[in-house]
Amino acid sequence: MSDYKSVTVSKGRGGWGGPLTITPTSEKPLIASITGGGIHPVAQRIAELTGGEAFDGFKSSAPFDKIAVAVIDCGGTARVGVYPMKKVKTVDIHATSPAGPLAQFITEDLFVSGVKTEDVQES
Amino acid sequence: MTSPATTTVYESVVTQVGEQVEAFLAHGLLIFFADGSPAELHDISVLHTASTAVDGPRPGDTVHVGDTSLEVLAVGDVVGDNLLNLGHLDLKADGRSQAKLPGDVCVRKGDLPLLAVGDTFRITRSAGEEGSP
Repeated sequence: MSDYKSVTVSKGRGGWGGPLTITPTSEKPLIASITGGGIHPVAQRIAELTGGEAFDGFKSSAPFDKIAVAVIDCGGTARVGVYPMKKVKTVDIHATSPAGPLAQFITEDLFVSGVKTEDVQES
Repeated sequence: MTSPATTTVYESVVTQVGEQVEAFLAHGLLIFFADGSPAELHDISVLHTASTAVDGPRPGDTVHVGDTSLEVLAVGDVVGDNLLNLGHLDLKADGRSQAKLPGDVCVRKGDLPLLAVGDTFRITRSAGEEGSP
């Protein structure tokens, strides 16, 4: 699949940051779900709408430079910072705001939180 | 610290300590993830393999990290899911009685220990504690 579409991911209730436009490319095709219990519905929806490839980050690993967006269910400290620090666009299911030792890396152009499936719309 | 009326709800052995863990300790923060979590998390995390995973921590429980025992003061909403699904825990030495972030496990202010491979990470609950069976 080479024709990727874009989606806009907006912050949900109580969330922070964004909106982010996610467009996978053949170089960055992966929608990484770094969440408990398999691929999260938000990651699944982003993959379906864009044509990107959803994968479960806790089951398999992929190089950072292949990831179009990381979907996380972070409680506010670790994963919220790790992906933005590597300049990977990051969508947090939980409504977190920048905090923790990595807060400096969490910026509105890289991070959006409190996201539910309805906050993912075709651009 | 362990009395006969204490049950262990989580027990694990440290398998790897990331390079940035010590820097995070300076922020009063100790982060755990299960073995097999994504490689990008390894630098900031203590990796471990659980042998007992019955429940996440509750206020009043004791967290044992290496030789240090810490009373749990507060627990955020997503802590239990994080720990049981991902082996993930954020231990914060912030002295709060209300968790500031949903992933926080709050303990008294002060130094947290730098763990080493082979150390244990354990959560115990006393039988008389509120919420116990």
